[in-house]
Amino acid sequence: MLFSLEEVIETISAVGVETFDIRTVSCGINILSCADSDVNKCAEKVYEKVVRVGRDLVPTARILEKKYGIPIVNKRISVTPVSMLANAFTEPTAVPIAIALDNAAKELGIDYIAGFGALVHKGFTRGDQILINSIPDALCSTDRVCSSVNIGSSQSGINMDGVYRMAEVVKEAAERSRDKNGLACAKLVVFCNAVEDNPFIAGSFLGAGEAEAIINVGISGPGVVRAALERAGNLSFGELSELIKKVSFKITRTGELIGREASRMMGIPFGIIDLSLAPTPAAGDSISDILELMGLERTGCHGTTAALAMLNDAVKKGGMMAATYAGGLSGAFIPVTEDAGMCRAIEDGALNIQKLEAMTCVCSVGLDMVAIPGDTSVDVIAGIIADEAAIGMINHKTTACRLIPVPGMKAGDVVDFGGLLGKGPVMEVGRHSPAVFVRRGGRIPAPVHSMKN
Amino acid sequence: MNNNKEQVVITVLGANNPGILAGITRTIADSNVNVEDVSQKIMQDLFALMMMTDFSAANCSFEEFQNRMQAMADQLRVKVFIQHEDVFRYQHRL
Repeated sequence: MLFSLEEVIETISAVGVETFDIRTVSCGINILSCADSDVNKCAEKVYEKVVRVGRDLVPTARILEKKYGIPIVNKRISVTPVSMLANAFTEPTAVPIAIALDNAAKELGIDYIAGFGALVHKGFTRGDQILINSIPDALCSTDRVCSSVNIGSSQSGINMDGVYRMAEVVKEAAERSRDKNGLACAKLVVFCNAVEDNPFIAGSFLGAGEAEAIINVGISGPGVVRAALERAGNLSFGELSELIKKVSFKITRTGELIGREASRMMGIPFGIIDLSLAPTPAAGDSISDILELMGLERTGCHGTTAALAMLNDAVKKGGMMAATYAGGLSGAFIPVTEDAGMCRAIEDGALNIQKLEAMTCVCSVGLDMVAIPGDTSVDVIAGIIADEAAIGMINHKTTACRLIPVPGMKAGDVVDFGGLLGKGPVMEVGRHSPAVFVRRGGRIPAPVHSMKN
Repeated sequence: MNNNKEQVVITVLGANNPGILAGITRTIADSNVNVEDVSQKIMQDLFALMMMTDFSAANCSFEEFQNRMQAMADQLRVKVFIQHEDVFRYQHRL
């Protein structure tokens, strides 16, 4: 027999009991060929191209789910940053493009479509400004469109004008979606060192250096790692790392298989596998649970950053060997509302936003799905974004903020965004003002790339 | 190995009762799917059966075969999993 009964049952129980799935098969589509000075004509072309290129994505994913018995939770599309097209628009709005993307996603049965974004880490073009001004309206007029804006990089520093403008946009998007607890902000990411091949929402887009179309895969699997740790009992750090590497290898291999097959069936090149462990609100599918199984009383206690660093590194080491091309964000995600264990740690008083910020120094991807009080000022939001960007800039890693200032809510209230976005407590933020600092204007210069202490 | 083969792993799990193997293999035979290897164990009253099969000469689509097997599994009150062998090869073999 090619496989033992034990091996087969291990694979089956990873899906059935330990909530293993492929989080996303994402198809990147270049839309630069849709350029037009008339935004409405451009929108028509974008709709036509996305529907034409992405037509096979959902049917292909369904066939693969059946063939291999592995659920593919999300089918997504990312496009070239729309700000590039917006440069040509006579009218200063990009909202019709967002509506076209939303309609295309609905036509194709796609869960989310991303790339309604801009790259402004060094400065704004006219197109960037049109795009950013359109974000609140675009996110409130659509259901499945996601937006991201890159405001800093290790090579160019941090565009603090971009930081401040995005803090205003976050605040406005929250207010405009007040009836849905600021849901628009759950579809908006502010990045430092954004990557061009990320398959995960909301920060996905097809970078300028990418091919005409590409298939990228994001895995999931915290539940499988947790189950392995539960079975293993008391291990030294070396043994623990080995165990996580093996589990990571297996789940990444499955992603590799799905990516290769999806690519072959759709006739679109296979880009990368993103080696991130991505939690869901489902019981047991939590990064926080893994950290606590490693021996922390509650996530957020002293030792959490070290535990997370080790987990993240072991996942990458195991995944690297399993994947032909690793890419995207590739690190453990610690979104708050999407991870029931993280929410419990906050409710128990073990985890606060300062510790969360420290944790983002050693893993993907930043302050992700963090609900903050609705009366948080633009200055404070800009300060939070700037801090997170500084961590990314200095450490040569991607960092991001997906902050939701929930209108009318205060720290400790519980907000429910529904589905994979989950529910969780509103976190307390610092109340002293960084206003003078964040409003200085201009850029924080790029850091030195030597003398790394 | 014959490259024209389409190898599919069938796994059956459930409480041990008479007739499980008979019911499952009848559905497989009716679909003209060829059983190449069988491994079966009783693990603490749990009936666990795994079969390596060749699907290439089947008289129905993969999805239809899954539906037929699922109907039989429901009748026998067991769980059945029909998966292409690649998923196991990728996870367990270098």
